Amino acid sequence: MSTYEIKFSVNGNDEILAVRGEETLLRALRRVGYVEVKLSCEGGDCGACAVLLDGVAVNACLVFVAQADGCEITTVRGVGTEDDLHPVQEQLIEKGGVQCGFCTPGIVVSAKALLDENPEPTREDIQRGLAGNLCRCTGYKKIFEAVSAAARQMKEGGDS
Amino acid sequence: MSERVVGRPHPIIDAAEKVSGATIFIDDLELPGALTGVALRSPHPHARVLNVDTSAAERLPGVAVVLSKNNTPDAPFGINHKDEAAFCREKVRYVGDEVAAVAAADEATAREALSLIRVEYEVLPTVADPFAALEPGAPLVHDSVAGNIANEFHIKRGAIDEAFEKADATFADEFHTHLAHQAYIEPTGCAAQWHPDGKISVWGCLQSVFLIRTFMLAPVMGMSADDFRVTQTKPGGAFGGKLDVKAALMAAMLSRAAEKPVKFMMSLEEDLIAMRPRMPVHISLESAWKNDGALAGKRVRIVAENGAYSSLSPAIMSSIALRTDNLYKTPAAEIQGRLVYTNIIPSGQMRGFGNVQATYAWESHLDNVADGLGLDPADLRLKNYTEKGDVSLHGWKIASCAVADATRYVVREMDWKAKRARGGKGRGIGLASCIHVSGNKGFSVELGPDDTDPSSGVVRVDEEGGVEIWSGESDLGQGATSVMAYIASEVMGIPVDRFKVPPTDTGYMPFGMGAFASRITLIGGNAVKLAAEDARRNLLDAAAEAMEIPADELEIVEGEVRAKALPERKMAVGEVVRRVGSVVEGEGKWLAGGDVLDKEKYGNPSTTYSFSTHGAEVEVDMETGVVTVLGVCCGHDPGRVINRLGAEGQVEGGVVQGMSYAMMEGLAPLEGHLRGKNFHDYLIATSMDAPPIEHDFFESMDPYGPYGAKGLAEVAINPITAAICNAVYHATGGARIRTLPVTPERVLEAIEEARI
Repeated sequence: MSTYEIKFSVNGNDEILAVRGEETLLRALRRVGYVEVKLSCEGGDCGACAVLLDGVAVNACLVFVAQADGCEITTVRGVGTEDDLHPVQEQLIEKGGVQCGFCTPGIVVSAKALLDENPEPTREDIQRGLAGNLCRCTGYKKIFEAVSAAARQMKEGGDS
Repeated sequence: MSERVVGRPHPIIDAAEKVSGATIFIDDLELPGALTGVALRSPHPHARVLNVDTSAAERLPGVAVVLSKNNTPDAPFGINHKDEAAFCREKVRYVGDEVAAVAAADEATAREALSLIRVEYEVLPTVADPFAALEPGAPLVHDSVAGNIANEFHIKRGAIDEAFEKADATFADEFHTHLAHQAYIEPTGCAAQWHPDGKISVWGCLQSVFLIRTFMLAPVMGMSADDFRVTQTKPGGAFGGKLDVKAALMAAMLSRAAEKPVKFMMSLEEDLIAMRPRMPVHISLESAWKNDGALAGKRVRIVAENGAYSSLSPAIMSSIALRTDNLYKTPAAEIQGRLVYTNIIPSGQMRGFGNVQATYAWESHLDNVADGLGLDPADLRLKNYTEKGDVSLHGWKIASCAVADATRYVVREMDWKAKRARGGKGRGIGLASCIHVSGNKGFSVELGPDDTDPSSGVVRVDEEGGVEIWSGESDLGQGATSVMAYIASEVMGIPVDRFKVPPTDTGYMPFGMGAFASRITLIGGNAVKLAAEDARRNLLDAAAEAMEIPADELEIVEGEVRAKALPERKMAVGEVVRRVGSVVEGEGKWLAGGDVLDKEKYGNPSTTYSFSTHGAEVEVDMETGVVTVLGVCCGHDPGRVINRLGAEGQVEGGVVQGMSYAMMEGLAPLEGHLRGKNFHDYLIATSMDAPPIEHDFFESMDPYGPYGAKGLAEVAINPITAAICNAVYHATGGARIRTLPVTPERVLEAIEEARI
């Protein structure tokens, strides 16, 4: 089976991978250890594998890894880690917007993408921005509250 | 209520690792050298297995082992009936039934090997419909089970015939529920590692690490439960579906045969066709009433769809049959239940354990009754609710109850009287209530070590002042172990952020039955509370020696042992532990109250009971039948809230999950084949569907609960379906949804029916 060599950066780390043509970005990222990108439906329905590809939120299961050649990829751990949390992550903790945590990496990525584009989203904007991320635990209410609060926090942080 | 921790809002204790993607779920677990395990599943709902030829698959390079009926023992397992084998033997009984399994070097090789397995089937007539399955001469799903009846009962309690003879009014209805999946986002999987001493380690997204050993792994593999060390990986959602996980058996059997570690991860499609979704049920109700709205008696007839194998289905049917009788003062009842084998995916438990279905039917019926009697539906309920101190018709002892307060709250907050008066023209409101157990003694007989439903906890304080809690009760992600940490923090005077609760592990943790039947907060919480009290005593005794102050003159505040009279004399708990020279720990054990039910299903199955009332406001497009839930308002009685943020999350999650079940979900079996195979055809609620939710808690301060707390997981979902259906009924001037889910087609049919 023929493989290609591709390069991309993940959370600022340069990666060189030998990939097969049919391999998805999701499978490739998990294969080399970025297991924070979650595998569930592999059909673009659940959003658990959302990553930023050159700043745009995509479902990694719908992108062939070869398409990511030369791109900058950001996973949830590129958005923030335990020691350096992004406001979206801080507020998901504070507002109770996380339960089992399986959908959360995708939620964080989608919410960051939303706030990067729209720093003052309404509840409806947030509902739309997260429409591709299924959560079975929370009923979404506390996630909406967290994203709203993160927007306020980022605005206040920016003003100071 | 002067508690420092209990009752306040706290983030769950593992929230930071979860939001940063650091949590290790089963598919993230690294096992060096692990093989990939996959199953060959039946493509037929019903067929005789004439021959399984695995020779070509075994010859494929990279394949370590192929298992099938040819090389595994005939050791059936099952909780209520031993009716399922690891691999199909004489027959396959549903699409998805495991026929063979392969462990290979990688997934591609394993899947190629599956394609090389030749199975010769003789296709048999499919028994898809439960009523057809009951007809004389119907094909048998299990050749040894006459009439396809997996379980049946007929109970008469109280003067039921007289109740109907002397009634001022009687009402009758039929309701039908659908096959719906737990639809957790993490597909199910397990890993296993065989060790040269013959023992096996198993990891997985499991609700109960202890029970999976005793009812599945040990009996099928001919080993003792102690030969398995089972460790939970945090489940990415469970909702009942990860109690009965055959992936654990597949991984363990493949690992033993290959003598190598094996990971067995199911795809979402496999999960949707081969796990244990919520039981479909057909419920006929008749009820007898006095003109003043007093319930006189009820008759219930149930046909429940078992699917191909039984698992916990008899217990689920029992729950459907009896539960709602205990929510209202019911003087007499007659209950008949028949559980029917079919060639459909085995049905099972999902959040509510049958009570979602039962509550949908009974609470929908109640609004029809209220209409017939000319009474307000809220008033009818308030007149008949059970109360603290009651012993129900079936022997349930109501130790605490605030359901009436919850209902009055919903009525007040929703502006009930005004909106009820306005109703119709496509806008309406409805409500429904429920009762639920906090643990169920019945499970301890079938699944536990004996009939005591025990739980134990160990609380260990280390030399840095950190505290670890070991409990056999698992967290499914909703914060159960966080509740334990808050309880222990309250008892011990040590800040919450010093606590850790690792996932359950049979290797070193004390026994617990695990997460189901809303049992963790009450049963596990009490055990941990006792353990924390013991640890606190031991800490104070050690500090007394180190500080040369009597223990009764010491207290623990903010992680420091202080002399009550001289607060400047203090010692950090970590320092106390260092002085002792080892870990300071405490142990606690708590046995659930209640009884094992007798043969007539009489008795008090749980220590105590929780309640809730859900209200919904809907808009119905009378032309298209589309229903929009405009808002939900609900009141819950969880005894006492331990963690307000977590409790709110349980409620909001339960409501949306219930609404999703009611309105859009369904595996839609057609002649034994399921339609939902991914999240684009098995729809669950998205952020766009989530309605505004207002809610509050009505704390009945249960006498048995830790700080008065009882279960909340299932009362959070049970009533919402009926609340929505009752709101649709109100909005449309009488369109009654008798078959779930509430699709536009069904709403239009019901509107048409109501016009006639």
